[in-house]
Amino acid sequence: MSRSESAVVEGPSAGQHPVGPGDGTAPRADAEDGGKQPRRALLHTLSRTLSRLLSRYWTVLALVAAWAVWVRTRQLNQIVAPTPAAVFGDVLGHPGAYLPDLGWTLLNAAVGLALGLVLGVTGALLVWASPLLSGLMTPMALIMRSVPVVAMIPVIARVVGFGITAVLTVTTVVSFFPVFVMAGSGLRAAPAATRDVFTVLAATRLTRLRLLLLPHAVPAVLVGLRLTASTAVLSAMLAEYLLGTHGLGLLFARSVTFMDPARAWGTALVATVVSVLCFVGARAAERLGSARFS
Amino acid sequence: MAATGISESPAEATPRTTPAALELRGATKEFRLRRSRTVTALASVDLAVGNGEFVALLGPSGCGKSTVLRMLAGLDTPTRGEVLVNGGAPAELVRGHRLGIAFQEHALLPWATAYDNVALPFRVAGRPVDADRVNALLSLVGLEGFTDARPRQLSGGMRQRVAIARALVLQPEVLLLDEPFGALDAVTRRRMNFELARIWADQQITTLLVTHDVDEAVLLADRVVVLTGRPGTVRHVEDITLPRPRDKALTRDAEFHDIVDRLTALLDEGAE
Repeated sequence: MSRSESAVVEGPSAGQHPVGPGDGTAPRADAEDGGKQPRRALLHTLSRTLSRLLSRYWTVLALVAAWAVWVRTRQLNQIVAPTPAAVFGDVLGHPGAYLPDLGWTLLNAAVGLALGLVLGVTGALLVWASPLLSGLMTPMALIMRSVPVVAMIPVIARVVGFGITAVLTVTTVVSFFPVFVMAGSGLRAAPAATRDVFTVLAATRLTRLRLLLLPHAVPAVLVGLRLTASTAVLSAMLAEYLLGTHGLGLLFARSVTFMDPARAWGTALVATVVSVLCFVGARAAERLGSARFS
Repeated sequence: MAATGISESPAEATPRTTPAALELRGATKEFRLRRSRTVTALASVDLAVGNGEFVALLGPSGCGKSTVLRMLAGLDTPTRGEVLVNGGAPAELVRGHRLGIAFQEHALLPWATAYDNVALPFRVAGRPVDADRVNALLSLVGLEGFTDARPRQLSGGMRQRVAIARALVLQPEVLLLDEPFGALDAVTRRRMNFELARIWADQQITTLLVTHDVDEAVLLADRVVVLTGRPGTVRHVEDITLPRPRDKALTRDAEFHDIVDRLTALLDEGAE
């Protein structure tokens, strides 16, 4: 890591010498301050990173290639299935068409995720605090889990109306359950011996919660968050598609209506990339959190 | 209260004149398994530990010796009989934060440093953390350089030292140790035994050590109580009069081996 960093830092300093258009002058300029080594190291790390990426994510490339071949060989109409080139071209050529809606979707997903996190942890705490509330919360949470969110959408639309509130309700409902379950099990999973130590120290319930149970539940909650993060983006899109006024979901609905398949597929592409990024981010947070708290 | 308790209890159980800090009188513990089935872990155990005395409770696994310790810590209650700590219920000592305990599992908070783990009892008790006391204990257990290390960065022996420092930090009147070195390898275990002997010589707290290691019991204790069978009963009480401080030389002593062999034989009979 430090090796590649130093190579990156030294790269531009070598470039301060007048470098001609051909390769012929560049090595000589490097040789003057002994900078041939960094350049080669840079190339080396670059090719190594590239081959590592390739070996790990070659399936993605294969998928895109298969898509291109499929469209070409079946001679499908652009309206049925656009080529990868058309889709990537639309996304990269008209970022302005995607960005505002992407922003809305991310906002919806993030706020829903945050609300789900807060409500899930609060719910788990209520269940921990009182058996009465446990009897109330657990069946409700189970119902919310068992009924597909799509089936709930008409009810949600009836209760809170269309627009951003409805979208946020859907993303919150989706995010709530994993966090609720994981936080609940995290609160109960503190090792028996440590609980005994707290008992012998005459810890109050609140002290026990603050100093033992809550820190112990952090990795579990982060697992819940990781499970939810990518789903939150997709459920935000779904809600936008069905009852939203902004966002990628609506962009997709419109593009389909106005026969713009490149845009519709582009929306799907953007959503996929963003979901994957959210998942990667949440996984990094989970790793950091579990390293810190266990 | 404690004095009358002594005069009433059977003579062979408490031969000494000092008032008992820890006392079990006819303590029986039954655990319910399924509907009507119960298993008796302890049958009518009498035990008294004097003030400032180090008693080892020796027995094979499953003889209920940990149950004795858990009852003294107030973590379990006897089905019949009485458990007294300083003449009162264990809960009183617990409420006053005057009981120190360490288990086989170190039971440290994984996210906290060695310092914060030792300081934990102050925080749980709602008292300001006495940094000097925490540091003094960390150096007493030989961990001066590891105050900022987290449990996962420490070896098994070091974790147990932190756990023992935590048990001692509030200057408890009673120290309960439930196989604190049970998970360590033989060499580390013996080294920790001498460490504990040194620490105990420094503090002289009433201590009950639960163990299945005969050498460990004889090395550390003033008195060894042998518990055998299912249900557990007191089979033998051995006064250890070996001179203190006890060190490595003692493990080559003939008298030491004599006691160890005798107690081992007792455990062996009890297992049959």
